[in-house]
Amino acid sequence: MPLRVLVWRLVIAVLALAPQLALAHGATPQKVVETIEIAAPPEKVWAIVGNFQDMDWMPGVVKTEGRGGVTPETATRRLTLSSGATMDERLVQYDEASMSLRYLIEHVDINVLPVGNLSATLKVAASDGGSRVEWKSRFYRAFPGGNPPEQFTDEIAVQAVSSLFKAGLLALKAKAERE
Amino acid sequence: MSRVAKWPGMFLALVVAAPAASDEAFVTNQTSDDLTIVDLVTMTPRATVSIGGKPAGVAVSRDGYRVYVTSPEGHFLSVIDTGARRVVKRINVAGGPFGVAVSPDGSRVYVADMYGRDLEEIDLKSEATRRVEIGAMPSGVAVTPDGRFVVAAARDDNAIVIIDAETFTRVASVAVGRHPYGVTIDLQGARAYTANVESNDVSIVDLRERWLVANVPVGSHPYGVALARGRAFVANQYAESVSVFDAASLAPFGTVKVGEYPESVAASRDGGTIYVTNWFSNELWSIDAATLKVLAKAPTGDGPRAFGAFIRAAE
Repeated sequence: MPLRVLVWRLVIAVLALAPQLALAHGATPQKVVETIEIAAPPEKVWAIVGNFQDMDWMPGVVKTEGRGGVTPETATRRLTLSSGATMDERLVQYDEASMSLRYLIEHVDINVLPVGNLSATLKVAASDGGSRVEWKSRFYRAFPGGNPPEQFTDEIAVQAVSSLFKAGLLALKAKAERE
Repeated sequence: MSRVAKWPGMFLALVVAAPAASDEAFVTNQTSDDLTIVDLVTMTPRATVSIGGKPAGVAVSRDGYRVYVTSPEGHFLSVIDTGARRVVKRINVAGGPFGVAVSPDGSRVYVADMYGRDLEEIDLKSEATRRVEIGAMPSGVAVTPDGRFVVAAARDDNAIVIIDAETFTRVASVAVGRHPYGVTIDLQGARAYTANVESNDVSIVDLRERWLVANVPVGSHPYGVALARGRAFVANQYAESVSVFDAASLAPFGTVKVGEYPESVAASRDGGTIYVTNWFSNELWSIDAATLKVLAKAPTGDGPRAFGAFIRAAE
């Protein structure tokens, strides 16, 4: 089974019985930090990552539609996943010089990703003749009250974001080293 | 005889409970489930107190002898002896205890229930409670210096609610910016300031007239406000900065770059120094309130929130 299908299936399977929940979220913000070394120059990696309007390098994303280019607070994008689900994201920071950007998820069905108030930073740096990419995020579990059902715990939310970022970074590495 | 026998115990209690000679910060680390006590003169951690239940909110008593910490996931409030640096009592609180403030006389604490809609008052002697409805997602809490009013943010109602502390009833609700989180009241008890996470501004509310004075634009995702020497200092989580503006003219004064995901901000009692917690990079930073220069950085536990009044002034 291709990696992209596997990742989203994993997330979706966990959440199959999820009720619809409000905008609220859990009490404890969660941290995920994933990194990868890529044998390609930082400029080349940033050319892929820094294009906020094209996230086709991300496994499971079949379409990126957006507007506002790379202007913070203005730039938005809608990602369509192979399952047909969509995610709406907004760029909140963009620093060409330090090759880093920060975005947040404005809307996602929690049956697709069991998180609330997610923001994430992607940063490319030079490392050992190649690049090092860091993808870090702050978010909450989607369940708003105490004692969440087992498909909505902090751990499940961390697992989902972590596997998503890992899969994304592996795909990014493959693309940057291939092209 | 009984009188004589009391003395050694009292003496010991005084020695143990005497607060330290330096100003200290009490930083709740939500991820590592503990509290870091930072010496603010040397900017070094002095002690770590285990708390549990994912501690978030904090309030230091005016006399500096007690610190109250909320644990939303553990459903309790911890009472910490600042001199002994240990938890002396745990009080169960229903729901998700979050924002917290203590009455100026130290007799009561006010706890926002982020999982429910209420603010709970706890009498610290009898542990008797009273509740009043705040609204959707109660968050930050502050008390006027005279103790007469409690102000709580109803984050998802985009409003603050003013409570009469004596009757524990609502006297007013004032619409502010989108998603007010931290609440700070000035030393005169004249104005309340809210950091509005979604609208990227700070609302200033006149507490006597009970109306909105202004919404002042700040950086992306503001979480908390500190007041010092006539200026407001605002921690912007996404912008990773502290915005500074004049509290009277509302004119911008400057911006300081800080660590990753700053959340809580507080001023020293003399107003000379500003302290900021950085949630992602696990640090407490100190900033000169006049020059806006970063002075020092202290390590904390994992995921510092310090949501509330987290500074204890030396005697």
